[in-house]
Amino acid sequence: MSEVDMAVIKPEMMKSYIWLQTADGSIQQVEQEVAMFCPMICHEVIQKGMGSSKNYAISLPQRVNPAMLSLILDYCRFHQVPGRSNKERKSFDEKFIRMDTKRLCELTSAADSLQLKPLVDLTSRALARIIEGKSPEEIREIFHLPDDLTEEEKLEPLKNTTDDPRIRLLNRLYAKKRKELKERQKLKNIEVEEERVDDRSVDDLLSFINGDNGDSKGIKNSKSKKKNRRRKDQQKNTSANEAIKNHNKEPNGLNQVCHSAEVGQKVRAGVGATSNLHDVEDDIFDNKNELDDGDIDDEIDPALKEKIDREVEDFARRLNSDWPERMQEILSFGHERKPVHFSLNGNGSLRRYANSEQR
Amino acid sequence: MDDVMSRDLISDLPQSIIESILTRLPIRDAVRTSILSSKWRYKWATLTQLVFDEKCVILSNDRCKVEDGLVNFITRTLFLHQGPIHKFQLTTTHLQCCPDIDQWLLFLSRNDIKELVLELGEGEWFRVPSCLFNCKKLTRLDLFRCEFDPPPTFKGFLCLKSLNLHQVLVSPEAIESLISGCPLLESLALSYFDSLALTIRAPNLKFLCLEGEFKDICLENTPLLVAMSVAMYMTDDIAEHFEQSSTCNFNRFLGGVPRLERLIGHIYFTKFLSIGDDLGRLPITYAHLKVVELNQVSFEDMKEILVVLRLITNSPNLRELQISGSSNTLAAIDAPDLDFWEDECPSNCTFKQLRVVRMTDMSGVPHEMEFIKFLLANSPALETMSISPCVYVMDGRLNMLIELLRFRRASAQAEILFIQD
Repeated sequence: MSEVDMAVIKPEMMKSYIWLQTADGSIQQVEQEVAMFCPMICHEVIQKGMGSSKNYAISLPQRVNPAMLSLILDYCRFHQVPGRSNKERKSFDEKFIRMDTKRLCELTSAADSLQLKPLVDLTSRALARIIEGKSPEEIREIFHLPDDLTEEEKLEPLKNTTDDPRIRLLNRLYAKKRKELKERQKLKNIEVEEERVDDRSVDDLLSFINGDNGDSKGIKNSKSKKKNRRRKDQQKNTSANEAIKNHNKEPNGLNQVCHSAEVGQKVRAGVGATSNLHDVEDDIFDNKNELDDGDIDDEIDPALKEKIDREVEDFARRLNSDWPERMQEILSFGHERKPVHFSLNGNGSLRRYANSEQR
Repeated sequence: MDDVMSRDLISDLPQSIIESILTRLPIRDAVRTSILSSKWRYKWATLTQLVFDEKCVILSNDRCKVEDGLVNFITRTLFLHQGPIHKFQLTTTHLQCCPDIDQWLLFLSRNDIKELVLELGEGEWFRVPSCLFNCKKLTRLDLFRCEFDPPPTFKGFLCLKSLNLHQVLVSPEAIESLISGCPLLESLALSYFDSLALTIRAPNLKFLCLEGEFKDICLENTPLLVAMSVAMYMTDDIAEHFEQSSTCNFNRFLGGVPRLERLIGHIYFTKFLSIGDDLGRLPITYAHLKVVELNQVSFEDMKEILVVLRLITNSPNLRELQISGSSNTLAAIDAPDLDFWEDECPSNCTFKQLRVVRMTDMSGVPHEMEFIKFLLANSPALETMSISPCVYVMDGRLNMLIELLRFRRASAQAEILFIQD
């Protein structure tokens, strides 16, 4: 209202106004009875005597921007009138609430900071109605929530009540590796199916069998502490079995046996490598108390990350390369059995574990 | 990966708002928010109100599966929960007597439970374990279909404000001592009890709701009572007991409730009040009584009519009156003493505030008509008088209307609505 208008109005019609300032600096005046409907403003006026003039405008909390303030004032303007029936109020509320989700959330926040409980209840109810009955994906979509839980965490929620960031980190790693390995396995299966003809010489095969006798023992599926690991391993084994079954269709009996052994061997080697990986992780889990806390906050230790990435690349390469190459590798792999290097601040126990893998 | 521009809208709201939202969701939806994102993993776990009802049951044809599913869900939810639980409600027909419930109650008793609602299915009634009596902070207790047996050392719930026992097997002494042992009790509801004789001593009681076969009720110390609703069923031995009784039930029941604002009576309530010798003038005035609803009043029983009159003539601020008649075949079929209305009926009482009167199930018996006449003549502020005849009366309706037309009305703006069905 301009000064001129105010001068024309009769004194009886003069309402008192309260001056409010939002976080962005803009100041506006609002009818007293409307503004006083908000407990926070009421408190400021009564207890601190603020709001009577432009210089002493009440600074509103940061969560109240001008758009939200205008909405809240609309709400107050309607509800502060005493004569309205419950039906009228309800129908106003229903219409008032119709807005997009983003504004609804902002409005809830703003109303909460002004301690306007009826409006907070109204908006909470509206938000609850939005969430109710929807699938997690839909809810994430509506509220722009990041999908940052691992598959494992989703399947068995709230297993770790300690909320240790290192456990979360490991879970994330674990899940990533699992996904990658699954993909590798899929590719491998496709390739394995295509391979029907084997043109290796018998000599090669025999030397292979002889040379690798000792190896099949070392590569066991180590007892997994976590159930899902076993689940994963079973998955691997079934796909290995499928591969073996495919090869069993070969007419040549000797070749068959060799192939099965070989495929089983290779897959088990692969599995062994990954169980290595996960047993090591497990060890890290066990020895977490010995780890230097400063090293791991929410970023993966770069050295560890490198090692893991290299290991995965290795494995992927092995899976994707051709048979002869693979054979060569397996031969060399079987003889040498290099220990998996994981240097985590020279944690002796890890190294020990890796070495024991050799036999 | 998420678009950097679309910021999370909701996860950073204050926990009180998140709780406010999650509390309004069915419990399964609330728990499922734990897989939305890492921030949401534990937001549900600190909810202080857990309500398990039919919505969280996954239906299937296999009854055992439904039961097991529900038990597992509740157990796991409680196990994963963090912090105090103030309200726990279990309303389901799928569970009856189940050992898991004992364990849940034990868990709750260690977690500052304040409001407990247990409504279980028909079948074997659940026997409330002793750990319930250790819930010191209990403010509300609702039990449906349970066996309630307090240990002898139990003194009462010192914080209890609301008690609702519906179809609960409990000894009368236990109920009386429970009520007396809860000094803060404001709301009491007892339903479906058999032949209960009860004396209620509850100095803070405001709301009373009774339904069942009550042999005797005495409101000995309930000075703050504001509203009551009583439905009394009659059995043969209760009727016998009434015949032999000489104490004035009206005084015993309504003698100590000066703050009463609403009174609702069902079934045999008026009859109950009519039992006993009339002790003359009522010692108190119901200055706050605004709404009276009495159902199944038999206008063929003088004593019941006297009860109604006594009540309304001592309520100067009565605004609303609703009476439903009953064709009570038990009443004596004497010639109605219509002289009463001329001679004995208090003539100088005016219902200055009475605005709305509803007479339902009217059979048109003489006393009913006289009563209506009495009201019309003494209610200067009356706005509406609505009369609905009883469905069984078809022939007498015309006579009723003819009589109604004749009645003098103290209020010029009174409308008489004759409601045909």
